[in-house]
Amino acid sequence: MSLLEFARGPAIHASLILLVGGILLRLLGVLLLTRGADLSRPRDAFGNFKGYRTVFSRAWPSDEFTTATRYQTAVAYAFHLATLAVVIGIVPHIEFITSLTGLSWPGLPNWIGVALGTIALASLIALILRRLGKPAVYNSTVEDFITWVIVALPLITGLMAFAHVGPRYETMLALHILSAALLFAYFPFSKLMHAFWFIFSRAQSGLAYAHKGVRI
Amino acid sequence: MSAQAAPAGVFPTFEQVFQGLAGQIGMLREMAPRPTLSDETRLARAVDTLIEETNADEAVWLESCIHCGQCTTACHYFQATGDAKYAPMRKMNLYRRVYQREISPMRWWFRLVTRPVKLKDFEEAQELVYDSCSECGRCTMVCPMGIDTASLVHHMRSAMVAAELVPPELAALREEQKRQGTVFGSSPEALRKMVDTIRDQYGIDIPLDKDKAEVMVLSSAVDLVANGNGLLATARVMNHVGVDWTICSDGFESANFGLLSGDMSLWKQQVDPIIAAAQRIGAKTLVIAECGHAYPALRWNPMVRSGSLPFEMMYMSEFLGRQAKAGRLRLRPLEGKVTYHDPCKTGRRGGAFDEPRSVLKAMNADFVELPANREYNWCCGGGAGIFLLERATRLRDESFKIKIREVNETGADSVVVSCASCRLNFEAGRQKNHWDKRVDSLVELVADHLIEGPETGAAKAGGAAA
Repeated sequence: MSLLEFARGPAIHASLILLVGGILLRLLGVLLLTRGADLSRPRDAFGNFKGYRTVFSRAWPSDEFTTATRYQTAVAYAFHLATLAVVIGIVPHIEFITSLTGLSWPGLPNWIGVALGTIALASLIALILRRLGKPAVYNSTVEDFITWVIVALPLITGLMAFAHVGPRYETMLALHILSAALLFAYFPFSKLMHAFWFIFSRAQSGLAYAHKGVRI
Repeated sequence: MSAQAAPAGVFPTFEQVFQGLAGQIGMLREMAPRPTLSDETRLARAVDTLIEETNADEAVWLESCIHCGQCTTACHYFQATGDAKYAPMRKMNLYRRVYQREISPMRWWFRLVTRPVKLKDFEEAQELVYDSCSECGRCTMVCPMGIDTASLVHHMRSAMVAAELVPPELAALREEQKRQGTVFGSSPEALRKMVDTIRDQYGIDIPLDKDKAEVMVLSSAVDLVANGNGLLATARVMNHVGVDWTICSDGFESANFGLLSGDMSLWKQQVDPIIAAAQRIGAKTLVIAECGHAYPALRWNPMVRSGSLPFEMMYMSEFLGRQAKAGRLRLRPLEGKVTYHDPCKTGRRGGAFDEPRSVLKAMNADFVELPANREYNWCCGGGAGIFLLERATRLRDESFKIKIREVNETGADSVVVSCASCRLNFEAGRQKNHWDKRVDSLVELVADHLIEGPETGAAKAGGAAA
């Protein structure tokens, strides 16, 4: 079995099992915990439901914090959108998803894929530079840096494989798939789980504050 | 402001109140109880408390932090010092480690990759969850995940109670309240004496211990042992609006050092007699004195099924606001430009925003909002018991400079607050910085601007437009 065959076969499949199983374990293990009851009378009888809007409204900072969070917001949006577009938009990725699920959709032109991959990597670098530049603000832990490396690797290897730089193409492609496998396997153990938590976390706080008649 | 037609000098000015209390607070440190349990037991109790208090809400919040650092822009203690350890996210670190190792569905993994928790970790966290977090909730307003750090800090305080790690001043007051039900040497006798003084000196009647009353009013130790003007003002306002009211000597204390220290059982122990008294006298309304944390202690107490109680609980500013809106307060216009500081516990974490503003409007005040106001108001830096901690002096003083800047920016001559703790902290900051602003309590301001005498049918709250 060549490195590429290993990457495309057992490695990526095992990592996907870890990804799905791990996410389910962590989500259910937390969400099925009991909920603490707040017995106090809400300010408005039906006001608590308004709290759910925090799930959406918190997608953008309030005016009060626009200036302070401008860099982080802009760069984080660039990173998330570009990464998502690359993950589901370029032809080789779609082919891989089709092989697993049978689903397919039209891919992006190559030059757009490269541009998006470059934006994603550049914004990721912009984020780590700021993290390194302001240690007091970020209070970084080892996990923060490990996570950054594990997220950066598929982007770097993907761009290298596409541009045919570095080792020969098959090796580069294998490294790219292996780095994606590492990301999948690592995902449920890490802060990358915020991809799910943000919905619940925002909703909980929105509800807790709406209970008191406060819009957050 | 001048107390109209009132004999001067009976009660101290608030400046003197502050100086007197500062002296008393100094003595608290010597009265603090020492730890009695072994280190192992203290650690085990702290961890058990966190396990017990962690539900899905807390777990999700602990899971959600990605260290994006945005909370630092919202925290007055971080902004004032720039010190990494005061970043709000860091205040959850120990709680998160306990959660990861003991509760998380991946605890088998986290036990491999995280260090075991020691009592020393809790000792180090003491400064983070008491001195440098007023549980003001401002960081929740900016957090992209919406994490309610203040709630998590409150659970950490409960763990600190279990670990006998409450800072000395709060520990001493907690002990006093556990035994006496009140603090600073206050008592039902002190209440009676104060009621007598107010009747004898000012001719103002405070109906004490009536069998039945529509409105039950709470007081607070600060008013009873130091700031008599607070209770005097309350009485004048209540008599002015003509409600059927009383103060109960078996349930008068607003202050709750159970909530402040993190002692859930003391929290409840303090609240139960108040609720029992209100039910006994058939009250329809319970008015909580201007004591910020007393509002969540009662009105938002998660352990009290308040929807099924036969009375409504409201903060003094809410009561005043409703009376003003109903036109039952006849007030002289307020001179000078004023701004209003929302106490964290009644504002962002309480929702009583409109009522205090209605009161100022009813006084035709030249009112200007702070640059960051309502949900975004900056904490004064003294909340959640921090005003009492000597060790936190530098943090308080530095963070108060944000408040000075904000108030100065409005160009107001005075700032109105509706919380004894905020007011004491403002007074400390005013004196230390030789600040040229006046700091007024809402209820005292109202009392000083009442138009007494027979009501003329046309006299309406606020009078004619300016």
